[in-house]
This record gives sequence, structure tokens and C-alpha cells, in this order.
Amino acid sequence: MKTNIYKIFAAICILVLVSCEKELPQYLDFTEYEFSSADKTGGTWIPILLKSGDEIKIQAPLAVNSSEYLQELAKLKTDLGKITNAERQAIIYWTSNPVIRWNEIALELIAKYNLIPGPNADGSYTLPNASNPTGPPAFPFAHPPYACRALAYLSVAQFDGLITACHYKFIYNRPAPFKQDAAIKYAYLDSDIPSYPSDGAVIATTSKKVLTQMFPLEAAYLEKKEAEHLRSLYLSGGNVESDIEAGKFIGESVAAIALSRAANDGMKNAQSPKAVADSLAAAAQARFGWHWVNLEIPQRPVGLTPLFGRVKMWNVTKVEDTRPIPPPAIGSPQLNADIKILQDYIDHPSVERRRIANFWQDGLGTYTPPGHWNQFAKDFIVKHHLNPLRTARTFAYLNMAMMDGGISCWDTKYYYHYPRPIQLIDGFKTIAGTPNFPSYLSGHSVFSAAGAEVLAYIFPSEASTVRGWAEEAAISRVYGGIHWTFDAILGTEQGKLVAQYTVSKARMDGAD
Amino acid sequence: MKINILKTALFLLYSMLASEGQCQSPNDALMMKAKQACILADYNYTSFNRYWEGSLNRENQTIARVMRSTVLPMAAIGISDRLNFFIGLPHISTSSSNPNGGKFKEVSGFQDLSLSLKYNWLNKTIGSSELLGLATFGFATPASNYLSDYMPYSLGLGAPELTYRVIMQYKLKNGLYVRGAGSYLWRGYTKIEREYYYNNGSYYTPWMDVPNAINVEGIVGKWLWNNSLQIEANLLSSQSLSGDDIRAYNAPVPTNKVNMNRIGIFAHYFFPKLKGLGLIAYHQGVISGRNTAQANTTGMGITYYFNYLKSSQVNEN
Repeated sequence: MKTNIYKIFAAICILVLVSCEKELPQYLDFTEYEFSSADKTGGTWIPILLKSGDEIKIQAPLAVNSSEYLQELAKLKTDLGKITNAERQAIIYWTSNPVIRWNEIALELIAKYNLIPGPNADGSYTLPNASNPTGPPAFPFAHPPYACRALAYLSVAQFDGLITACHYKFIYNRPAPFKQDAAIKYAYLDSDIPSYPSDGAVIATTSKKVLTQMFPLEAAYLEKKEAEHLRSLYLSGGNVESDIEAGKFIGESVAAIALSRAANDGMKNAQSPKAVADSLAAAAQARFGWHWVNLEIPQRPVGLTPLFGRVKMWNVTKVEDTRPIPPPAIGSPQLNADIKILQDYIDHPSVERRRIANFWQDGLGTYTPPGHWNQFAKDFIVKHHLNPLRTARTFAYLNMAMMDGGISCWDTKYYYHYPRPIQLIDGFKTIAGTPNFPSYLSGHSVFSAAGAEVLAYIFPSEASTVRGWAEEAAISRVYGGIHWTFDAILGTEQGKLVAQYTVSKARMDGAD
Repeated sequence: MKINILKTALFLLYSMLASEGQCQSPNDALMMKAKQACILADYNYTSFNRYWEGSLNRENQTIARVMRSTVLPMAAIGISDRLNFFIGLPHISTSSSNPNGGKFKEVSGFQDLSLSLKYNWLNKTIGSSELLGLATFGFATPASNYLSDYMPYSLGLGAPELTYRVIMQYKLKNGLYVRGAGSYLWRGYTKIEREYYYNNGSYYTPWMDVPNAINVEGIVGKWLWNNSLQIEANLLSSQSLSGDDIRAYNAPVPTNKVNMNRIGIFAHYFFPKLKGLGLIAYHQGVISGRNTAQANTTGMGITYYFNYLKSSQVNEN
């Protein structure tokens, strides 16, 4: 009996332990694909911040028969003979479309820094401060406005940098090292794209520089990632050192241009002083007879980024052009009907509503809704085999539209200053966390609809899918108990409207 | 977004079920004879208004005081004199005191179904004392679709769990005993309702790896009043073998590393004149920990022993 029991126990234990270990992916593991287009005229596309692909000047490369170039080639061959396993792994990790990896790094940093500062012992709150990033609290608090902006600058700089690289590649037409010397094997799929300047190096350096500005405490981590990426470009057999140096130069230049716009876009004033925030509440009270109040304990003195609505937009001239009609008056039949809906949802929980509320929550400690839409974009980019230039273009227009959407939404939020459900419904409880800013409109709805419209433009075959997702993301906030239905419905409309400015611009950039 | 749910009720979630002592449980040194059964109806109440965020002991007005009520029906069945089977299914309700800054919806429902086997592998008499050795193997799995990713209100960790436990007890003739137990808890994965989370790095999956743990318990007890009253003092130390810390002012998650030390007292009274009927009462408090609630628990229950097939009488070992 005894030994039998032991045998049965042991068998169960081993079975369960062995059969249950799961893969928990930390990045998208995809098989390298052939790009769906070569886009050899990409250098003629219209960039976002640069006037054209030749605005940044680089030196002409050395001729392939020059002794310096032959030396570079010889050095590459020697180094390839000494390649380590870790370096081989890095080449596989970075892939031939490293824009994807830098986007993942950005999302990871957003999730890492998306932590709201807690109260001090005396009940006061300390805000993250860019001039003392260590804190506490650490800088930044990567909330959705911060996140959409970081992603926009990253993607725009990458896109402009790649247009520049493409421009020079087909002016100088210097074939890649693996085309020069049969002994050099290219780690990725064969390609006849010239290698000077290295487009990969443009991505590495641009991304490192933009993200270091956005996440200053990550400087060392980003430096390490950049070095690993540059090394893998070299050891892939696709670039000699001078290709990479020229790419780094473009990266430095374009990132500096993007960051100088960022320094003066108004974001540094977005988290306004209390007096300014109070005056916005008072204005709404005078105009409409209501204002939103933070109900946390202890109360936060200022909502999240009251002046984000005044940050410089990418493609919309006047934010007021995208401001919706006022929300229903307090006490109106329309609001009372909504109160009933929300109360019914919370009193009668459903598995499906809970799933939707959680799937789209993208709250504290996550990559935020803009991050979620970047993940969708990434999946479509791989599915549709986009090349790095079109990948960067997708992210650039996606993130510009979402940042513009966020700005419009925040303008609306603090102009109308409308209360959250917990403020208007006595004893109301929620299954999602109520955010620290006014209700009308729903940020999730605007970000999602704006993102969906750009993805529908880039990937027409996915249009109905992504628009359906955007509507689900919008209603998820009502299911969570933290938004009114009109916040969601009009938020979706605002997102669509704002995205049209960006999509119209995209249609004119020469890529279609 | 926002959400400052916060706090850790991690351990409480299953501890009532998986650790020491009520009735005949998988954790004590009591064995039932073949054909005997015992039914336990237990109620306990746990609350806390402080918790450890990593090693920082803090309060959090977002959740104020978190309260948790558990009703646990459990049955123990003597398959043979040396092998007992246990089954239990707790029903749990969680909520916050008012006022609180988070205004999160409370939760209630069935937690995890647990099944255990306890085997008595050693019975040795040393002079007038006796040495007892037992081993238990337990399996638990969520019995409802509760969401583990809603801490501190989650009903449980939402993952399957295997428990391997060894128990040794040394009992003197005068009824005094000491008992030690060591357990290894293997936990599987819990499926959450989002497809991305951060755990010292990005994870693109709805599956969270719940850390395995080791529990060590020490108990001193005595049988009094002609074996009608059993009293115990106990110490439990639990350590996760992996996991991350609760992030600053953020909600706990099932991947957290949960460590704790808890002390408690326990009593079991058997009515001499009401055959088979007993009462239990206990109190426990967490005295130190990491990513866990500084919780106090008070519980009571009724036990009833009977022969499900005709045979011997209650064995009060």
C-alpha cells in the first residue's frame, strides 16, 4: 500500500510539474519575412519634421576599391570569425526589422514608469520632476498623455531618419559587405539595398537618444541596447563600420531636431500649478454649473496634466475645432438614463463585461492604451510583412494621431470638467480604477478610435477589425464603471475626427 | 487608468484552507480510523489596514481597511486507519471599509476546491511517549471564474496548487505535544484578463506564473480535561521561491513574492456528552512579511465526527 501510494504521488507530481510549464513571451518572436515592398523611392517621401530626405547632410562614402574600405571589409571578416554565441543571439533578437524591437523597448519603459505617486505621510503629494529624475517619485510618471507623446517623438524621428537614410542609400549605391565579398554571409534574407548609410544604425541611435530624453534614468540601459544593436548590424554582414557611423550621425541629427520640438511643445507646463487647475474648475462651474472633483484619500490637489490640451499638435491647427458639444446637464433625463445603465452594470456583473473592462483597462503599471495600439500595429506589421521604413511610417502616423487625439481629449476634459460616475452616483463602486481627471470624454475611446483609423488606412483589410476593437475599448470604460456612455460614444467620434487630419497628411507623403 | 487598489491579501487567500489547524485537516496530526468521517463548518474573519509593499510597511487610504469573510465547509474521511481523505471548498467575501479612496466593487464567491490525502507512515512508542509521522499530498484548483488579477479583493491566486507536506509530532504521556511541519507548494499559472503585464520586464501573455513557496510550521499543544480540550500555539513561516515586489503605491499581483511570519492560537473542544460534536476557535496575526497583509484572523467552527460505516469510535490521537 505504502509504496503504491508513493509511486502514484510521484507520478502525479512529475506529470503536473512537467506538463504545466508555459512559455511566457517577453517580446514578439517572429520568423523573418521577405518585405512586401522594397520602397527604393522612399528617400523622396515627405518627412514629418524635416523638409526632405536631404535636409541632413552626410559625407559621401569611400569607394569600394579604396584601401580604407578594403580594410574595413577585412576587419569585418576577422570579427566575423570571432563571433560569440551571445552575438549570434543578438542578431536573431534584433531581426531585419529592428523598429519593432525599439517600439517594444519603449512600451516596456512606459509600463515600468507608469506608476502614480502616492501620498506623503502628511497627506501631500510630490510630483515627479524632470530636473531631479531619481525622486522619489521617479521621473517620469508615464501616464497615457506622457506615453503617447514619447511614442510619437520616437516614431516620427525614426521615420524621418529612415527617409534620410533611404535618400542617401540610392544616391551613393554602395553595396553591402556581403555583396562585396562572398566570404561574408548575410545573417538575414538577401537584399540588394545599398548599405551606406546603415538604416539600422539610424534606428538604434535615434531611438536611444529620444528614449533617453523621455526616460532619463534608463540612460545606461538604453546605451547598452544601442551598442548591442549596432554590433549586431555589423556582425550580420550587412554593414561595415563607416555605414554604421553615417547612420549614427543621421540618428543623432534627427533625434536632436525631434527633441528640440519636444522641448517647446508645451508639455512642460501640462501639469499646471493648483491655481491654474482651480481656475479651470471655476470656469466650468460658472459656465455649466458643475466641476469634477478628485475623490481619492487624501485628495489629489491637481488633476492629471490639466494643460495637456494646449500642447502643440502634429496635424490639427486648432484644438477647439475638435471639441464636442457639451455633455448632458446634471439632472437631465439623458444623464439619469446613463446613471441607470451604470448602476445596472455594476449591480449585475457579467463575465463578458468584466473581460472587456479588464482587457482594455491598460491602467497603472501597464503600457497604457496608446501602448496597446502600438502592440496591435506591431502584430499587423509582421503579419503584412512591412519593411522598416513602412514600419516606422505606420508607427509615426499612428502615434501622431493618438497624441493629437489625447490633446483634443484633454482639452475637452478640462474645458467641460465633467464629474465621474463615483462623484454623481451616491455609494457607487467600480471594477476599474477611477482616473485622476474629468470624465468627458473618455481618453481610451479617443486614443483607440484615432489609432484604429490610422491602422484602417495602412491595413485596409483589417479596417473592420480595428474599428470594432476601438468601439469595444470605448464601451469597456462604461463597463468598468468609470465613464458615462456619452463619454465613450463621443470619444470615439472625436478620435475618428482627429485621425482624419493625420490620415490626410499621410496620403500626401508619397508612400501610397 | 489610475487604480490604486493596493495591498496584499495574497496569503489570506488560501491560507485558511492550506495552513494549520482546524478539525482534522491535512495539516494536523490527527488521523481518523477507517470508516470514520468528520465534517467541519468554519467561519473566519480577516482584516488589515497595513501591509508590506516590498519591505515597506504602509497604510493606503485607497483601500482603507480590507475585510475578508470565509465560510469553509470541509469533510475528512477515514479510508483506512492510516489514510485519510479531505475535501473543502471555501466561500469568500472581500470588501473595503468606508470611506475609502478607491471605491472598488466588493467580490464574493467560491474560491478553490481542495482535495488532500494524509498518510500515517510512522507510529512509534518511545517509553511512554509517542512519535508520529504523517505526509500529505494536496491538490487545489479554482472552483469559480474569480479574477486573480483584482487584488487585494481577489478571492484567490487563480492557479492550481500542489502541496507536499511532512508532519512529525512528539507527544508526552501527559498530553503535551510538539509538532513540526514542512510543506512545498507548487503553483501553476493564473490566467488574467489582459494580454500584457510588467514583471521586471514586459510579458505579452495573459498567463502569470504564480511563485512556488515553502511553509514551515511549529506547534506546541496540550490535551486537557481528560482529552476533551486541545489547545495549541503555532508559528507559521512562509517564503515564496521567486516573484517580484509590489510596485510603489500599486496593486499587488499574483506574481508577487510573498513572505510572512504568523503566530496564532487554536483550541478544539469535544463535548463529552454530545458524542462526536466539537467546537474550534482560533486567532492568528501576521507579525512580519514582504508583499503581504499585516492581517489578523479570528475564526470558529463546529466539528462533527461520525461513522459512515459501522465501526470504531473517535480516535483522539
